[in-house]
Amino acid sequence: MILVIAEQRDGALNRSSWEALAGAQQIGGKIKVAILGVRLDRPAEELAAADVAEVLVLDKDALEQYTADGFVHALTLLIEAESPELVVFSHTYQSRDFVPALAGALDRALITDCVRAVRRDDNLIFSRPMFQGKLMADLVALGPAPHIVTFQSGAISADTLVYGDTSAPRRTVPVIFEAAALRQRPEPAFQEAKQVVDLSQADRIVAVGRGIKSAEHLQLVQRLSAVLGAEIAASRPICDMGWLPMDRQVGSSGQTVAPTLYFAVGVSGAIQHVVGMKGARTIVAINKDVDAPIFEIADYGVVGDLFEIVPAIISELESLP
Amino acid sequence: MKRETVEVDVLIVGGGPAGISAALHLAQLQKSRGGTPLAITVLEKSKDSGSHMLSGAVFDPSALHHLLPDFESLGAPLGPAVHEDRLLFLTEKRALRFPFTPPPLKNHGCYIISLNRFVKWLAEQAESSGVDVINGFAATEVLYDGDRVVGVRTGDRGVDRGGERKLTFEPGVDIRAAVTIFADGVRGNLSKTVLRRFQLDAASQPQSYALGFKELWEVPAGRVTPGTVMHTLGYPLRSEEFGGGFIYGLAPDRVSLGFVTGLDYQDPLFDPHMTFQRLKCHPLLSGLLAGGQLLRYGAKALPEGGWNTVPQCYIDGALLVGDAVGFLNSLRLKGIHLAMWTGIYAAQVALDAVLASDPSAVRLQAFQTLVDDGPVRREMYPVRNVHQGFRHGLIAGLAFAGLSLLTRGWWFRDPVPNLIGHKRMQTMAVYHGLDGPDRNSIKVPVDRKLTFDRLTNVHFSGTRHEEDQPGHLLVHDLDICRTRCREEYANPCLRFCPANVYEMVEVGDDLRLQINASNCVHCKACDIIDPYQIIDWVPPEGGGGPQYDGM
Repeated sequence: MILVIAEQRDGALNRSSWEALAGAQQIGGKIKVAILGVRLDRPAEELAAADVAEVLVLDKDALEQYTADGFVHALTLLIEAESPELVVFSHTYQSRDFVPALAGALDRALITDCVRAVRRDDNLIFSRPMFQGKLMADLVALGPAPHIVTFQSGAISADTLVYGDTSAPRRTVPVIFEAAALRQRPEPAFQEAKQVVDLSQADRIVAVGRGIKSAEHLQLVQRLSAVLGAEIAASRPICDMGWLPMDRQVGSSGQTVAPTLYFAVGVSGAIQHVVGMKGARTIVAINKDVDAPIFEIADYGVVGDLFEIVPAIISELESLP
Repeated sequence: MKRETVEVDVLIVGGGPAGISAALHLAQLQKSRGGTPLAITVLEKSKDSGSHMLSGAVFDPSALHHLLPDFESLGAPLGPAVHEDRLLFLTEKRALRFPFTPPPLKNHGCYIISLNRFVKWLAEQAESSGVDVINGFAATEVLYDGDRVVGVRTGDRGVDRGGERKLTFEPGVDIRAAVTIFADGVRGNLSKTVLRRFQLDAASQPQSYALGFKELWEVPAGRVTPGTVMHTLGYPLRSEEFGGGFIYGLAPDRVSLGFVTGLDYQDPLFDPHMTFQRLKCHPLLSGLLAGGQLLRYGAKALPEGGWNTVPQCYIDGALLVGDAVGFLNSLRLKGIHLAMWTGIYAAQVALDAVLASDPSAVRLQAFQTLVDDGPVRREMYPVRNVHQGFRHGLIAGLAFAGLSLLTRGWWFRDPVPNLIGHKRMQTMAVYHGLDGPDRNSIKVPVDRKLTFDRLTNVHFSGTRHEEDQPGHLLVHDLDICRTRCREEYANPCLRFCPANVYEMVEVGDDLRLQINASNCVHCKACDIIDPYQIIDWVPPEGGGGPQYDGM
């Protein structure tokens, strides 16, 4: 018997669970599918449409929010009770997180990220890509059953899924473990605030280069960008030294920008930087080196000490009505 | 950590002319033998085949004739056949043509090629013969069973600059093989460790190296006839510095030009990149390039020591071939065909070892016999002492080179001793005196049309690396840089690196070495010539590096 573990979130099945089911059907034999969480009526009913022997429902409050500990506990019990030959997952972020621990807890072989399973002689052979798909490795799981396998998302078409003539029977499986046995307590789910700056949308940019000399002088350009209503950008050395985050970098290894105004402060204008900003409409450059290549593309250039010139520009701009 | 293991029959580390020739010839031998196919794998750090390849290049097709006799119908991307050879001696303003072209510099029957296009094509031939060429993965460690080489480990991917695993982390893979062929090129990162561990060069002379620069230019049509080969000696090098320039006509509007100089110079202030710029300002070149446009730039070290510096090339479980062990004829300025020959021989020997299930050094020693009995020794042995002769200056070197053609290489001291390049560099105090004249003060103005600074040049190499990864230029003692090296050698890394990797930046009142590892074009010059030998070049995350095309 093959046991497929489906994945759901707030009652919605993960699409790749259908692929895992289809993969299990292609291997052949009796198939059961299990689902974990709370309020599982809807996903369990959906799963029952597939041609499977049984849908197993593991409904427990401790499984409402995913924890690796909780899932390992629940599935260890289920697998011991059902003794399948093979346990199948889809290769999702969630399964990547806990399936290795499950395999460890059961002390059984795990093959991850498979794209194909074929029966050859008595062996079930799983293929998985290596070296970014350059090679395909054929693997056979060793040791006693059940073996555990995860299928790469998209490797098996969910369209090949075979549906049953009638809805498969559903069975609620008691999940008995003490919530206290869990060592993990989930925090509410959050989405990481996106801090990536999209400089390509900026109308005005003040860019700072190595001429700024040290991180504490950055506040000077920050003031300039504030009075100009501009975003701050930097050439590579500044981001390399960690004075500004990498997403502020303009150039061949950073962002490409085309603002109305590009104010280059202490930027020499190495070609690696210029390729990222030469589309700016007006380029203003301040640099103490008259031979700096930035002056080759600048519309307005000031040769001089930025520590004198920038404060003067700031006070002039601030005094504007 | 447990790692995945892949088992193959023959593993070839490095997908250059030597490595790909070995793989392709193995596949050919296997095919004519029949039976179960062998698993032949080439591991190459560049993202695409050939993109880390750099050479002049005038190509002697002898090995290609042997490997793929029908190379023409297979579409080998060879450039024009050489129809004219010129050797020029440059003074500051003039170019004097040698009255005759010395026999070793006659290139009749050779082709001007782009090595990276050629290797890309050769790799395609290998792949269509059943070889697995794995690009974008660097070999970082040799796997041993006792003292027998049993394969290599590939580098971890997805490690950040602090050494922490990123979300994309993938551990390296162990590739185990019955026979491993190291074809990792000049100063190859693994062959270097193998040579040291087994002291394979104990009976040979130390290798000497040169650094080559190359630029590809588009010029107004008609300046150089395709198939023209020019080599220059003299200006802007001084007699004490080994090297010269080259100009090859590729197409009516396409010229390949460059400059090679010994990584064994004495003057700590010598600046190879600046010297190359000065060469371009010579009337011969500035006239040729006027109105033209730089298309590509690259730099790479090459082994110049010749026959007497070739170490033992076989150990239990492994062979070493090509530039990694110095198969290059520095008098003819050619190594591609020798790399291919040694790859072909390694294939024969490796197949024999796999079939006999005996990869012992005793069996692999057959490689040496093949080298000794064939065109490789025939070509390299008579010129075995020539490079060493240039140690006494250009005139002595030329005279020696000429004489040795008469004596078939014999000399009163044979072998002529060779010195380790980095040990020849003298300190500022010794070379320049405490306040002596600085002969390097002549700087060439950088106009970014004819002459370039390093940083602009690097842009034209297409070099890219994953930015958030650990540095791959390991400087074992950064204190030496700001103290002893600054005083004794005035930080020669600022000058010998052709890619602006090394910079001394001010931190308050002090200076600190900054390593711009993402600029690295993988030339290996720093690993070779750093006078303290504290720079270790290790491979960055696979796929990073230059993106040479047409070079």
